[in-house]
Amino acid sequence: MSLSITRRTALVGVTGLGATIALPGRAQTGSVVIYTSNNAQAVEAVTEVGRKRLPGVKFSTITGGSGQLLRRLEAEAAKPQGDVFWSSSANTLGAFTALFEPYRSPELAAIPKALHHPNGLWSAANIHVAVAMVNRNQLGGAPLPKTWADLLDPRFKGKMIIADPANSSTALTILWGVEKMLGADGLKRLASNIKVTSAAATVLRSVGQGEFAIGLTFESNAYAYVAGGQKEISLVYPSDGTFSTAEYLALIKGAPAGELAKRACDHLLSKDVQTELLLAAYRRPARSDIDVAKLVELPALSSIKIFPVDEEEAAAKRADFLKRWQALAAASGN
Amino acid sequence: MRSDLRSVWFWLTLAALAVLGLFLLLPLFNVLAGSFGGNSGRSGWSLVRQDGKYLTAVVNTLVLGGVVTLLASLIGVPMAYFTARFDFSGKAIVAILPLITLVVPEVIAAQTWLMAFGNNGLVSRALAERGLELPSFYGWFGLITVMTFTYYTYVYIGTLAAIRGFDVQLEEAAQSLGTSPALSRWKVMVPVVLPSVLASALLVFTLVVGNFAVATILSNKVPLLSVLTYQATVSEVGSDPLLQSTLASISVAIVMVVLFLQRWVVGRGRREVVQGRGARAQRLAGWPGVLLGSVAAAVVVISLLPVVTIVVGAFTQARGPVMRWGTWTTANLERVFTRAPDPLFNTLTYAAIATAVGIAFSVAVSYLVVKKRNRLTPLLDYLTALPLALSGTVIGIGLVMSFNTGWLPLTGTGAIIVLAYVVRRLPFGTRNASSTLYNIPDSIEEASISLGVPPLASFFRVVLPLMVPAIVAAAVLTWTTTVAELSASIIVYSGGRETMPIQIFRLIDSGLMAQASAYGLLLVAVIVLPILLATRVFRIDLFASRA
Repeated sequence: MSLSITRRTALVGVTGLGATIALPGRAQTGSVVIYTSNNAQAVEAVTEVGRKRLPGVKFSTITGGSGQLLRRLEAEAAKPQGDVFWSSSANTLGAFTALFEPYRSPELAAIPKALHHPNGLWSAANIHVAVAMVNRNQLGGAPLPKTWADLLDPRFKGKMIIADPANSSTALTILWGVEKMLGADGLKRLASNIKVTSAAATVLRSVGQGEFAIGLTFESNAYAYVAGGQKEISLVYPSDGTFSTAEYLALIKGAPAGELAKRACDHLLSKDVQTELLLAAYRRPARSDIDVAKLVELPALSSIKIFPVDEEEAAAKRADFLKRWQALAAASGN
Repeated sequence: MRSDLRSVWFWLTLAALAVLGLFLLLPLFNVLAGSFGGNSGRSGWSLVRQDGKYLTAVVNTLVLGGVVTLLASLIGVPMAYFTARFDFSGKAIVAILPLITLVVPEVIAAQTWLMAFGNNGLVSRALAERGLELPSFYGWFGLITVMTFTYYTYVYIGTLAAIRGFDVQLEEAAQSLGTSPALSRWKVMVPVVLPSVLASALLVFTLVVGNFAVATILSNKVPLLSVLTYQATVSEVGSDPLLQSTLASISVAIVMVVLFLQRWVVGRGRREVVQGRGARAQRLAGWPGVLLGSVAAAVVVISLLPVVTIVVGAFTQARGPVMRWGTWTTANLERVFTRAPDPLFNTLTYAAIATAVGIAFSVAVSYLVVKKRNRLTPLLDYLTALPLALSGTVIGIGLVMSFNTGWLPLTGTGAIIVLAYVVRRLPFGTRNASSTLYNIPDSIEEASISLGVPPLASFFRVVLPLMVPAIVAAAVLTWTTTVAELSASIIVYSGGRETMPIQIFRLIDSGLMAQASAYGLLLVAVIVLPILLATRVFRIDLFASRA
């Protein structure tokens, strides 16, 4: 029995195949690649809200520390693979301005002018506050540290952990702030107490799992453990002043998704997404139209003592600072 | 030589060599050469010398390898001996051990031990409520425990096969000459079986050295070579891959030394068992039997701990990183299917393509090596065994260094993930196909050719059908190990192309154990289903368990 395929059958088959491929596309379909340093909960908030706000758009992510992702973007600059970078502080972004394309989203209207970039190169998404995440079970009977002076006490030697500032803008903000507030000597004492790990996520996991007593990180990451019900975790906002920084997202120059990348930026800055980020990932919005204290149990920004830091200076002197820190860290056995 | 050139098989061998040269030798060469310095003029070796932690890491890795190998042998060898020689209640449970080795991927093993013994873990919390503080599972305690219980099955399987293949008549001969049973076993069976045991033990050593998943998740304060290599790849993105190539080269060197040692151990002395009759299992009655059965069952149950924890964890409620043990939900699994099914599709697609391509290439190459020998086939044989010396991380680094830019950019595609899978599984596929081909006599093929069927058609219509059962078994085993592969794919993957093991790894990193368990459960299901299908429905003997 032989199967003969007549020319007609073949023609019909090919046409049918072609028709299925050339189905009319919906508006706003496509995929957007976000290079993000934020955790899985934050990403999920974005994609969840995206289902309703931007149906048909598929978000995919590449994760890593902000420093690593930016270096990767640099390597890919000839043929970018990512569309949006979300997010990092100005102190880290400052060295990579060539990678981004200015874009002023309509959502910027809700964000305080003080946080706008003069050329629209990046947009403020969230505000972070540095905290000490403390696992009370691991303190070994010592009282809860309340100030930076407490944290620099040698009795916490080997019990503190922070990420590598070369990879993580979180760590860079905290360490730069410590050097400004407590001087080079303060930074040195911190370096001798603290262990440096290459990834920011390790800090949270280590303190959460009881491997370390104190981790220096941002409140949004640490609060997830408290909200989850792990009773031995406390968040300490050092009463002599802590550091706050805005976290920016940027549109990547030559983004493969084109116009869709700009829609993705709008989406990330929108009120729906920012509210969901607050509820699911405890990230303070930069937008002024969301009342934080009403929605979650984080302290209002006005009640926290913030030590002001010049972010532009931090950006300009990042490379030098990293060198100084590497020397201190190496000297203390990291 | 001229007749060689006219043969189509010679050109096929050349083509196979070209493919292997491009996808195997070039990456390896780039890794080794990269350590000697890029544009900056520095050398990776000087970087390694400067920082003491790398030497510490190498020492730690060797120590860990030694300790785990020793403990795994201490568990695996006696279990194999008692399983081979005695019948006891509970023996049927022990027979599924080889299955467990395959079914539980390393990343899941680490995760589930953590979920039981980590600070937030089920067992730790239960003990803490009773006032017992367990030492921290991170560090040496966790590393040694998890790796021992992951790798002892390799020693068990190797020793079991060796003891089963040992001709008991030799022992009986020794006993008939007046030696006691115990002494005859010690002096006659042990020397014959020892090479296989040592070979399995050395295999475990190389697996520990190259281990990525367990080491990264559990090592925190302990510097280890494989972890530092991975961290180097992450931090060196966009700059010269100096550190990663140097560390990768060190890892290759260690494994090569061990593999040479293994060859020497196995090749030393010629022990040919001409006719083998395995010993009949003795029934062990009374309390020794019960004791043995309980110990064996306990070991197996501990090995099953990962699977149980995954099932429980996948259905446990969690708020962020905190697991609410005791409360149940199906939301974790729903999330996988409705919101984030991509890792599942990616895993299935890439593993399927890699298995198909890998098996096809292996069959072709082993046919050339076994049946169509020429000048070049020994080289081909050697090259296909080369990936055994390379850990997944090294292969990943090599592929990224070779195919990032230039004339064949593969990063950013799924092809590079498939390539990583194929290269890693190459030795297994070719070994399997070769051993099958050795058992197919040349005369069958020659008969076909002499009846007028062209050689290539003879291959497809005579030889290949004879190989089908073995090919299917190899395909199923390749599938199960490819689906769970992590250390190479985590280096070469790009956005949107995460596989399930990568997603699990990332979720563990974010502390989201419940979601990681949901993916883990799916991964175990994807692994078990083909095995069940093959063994129950198609009745294929996957593990050569019938001695």
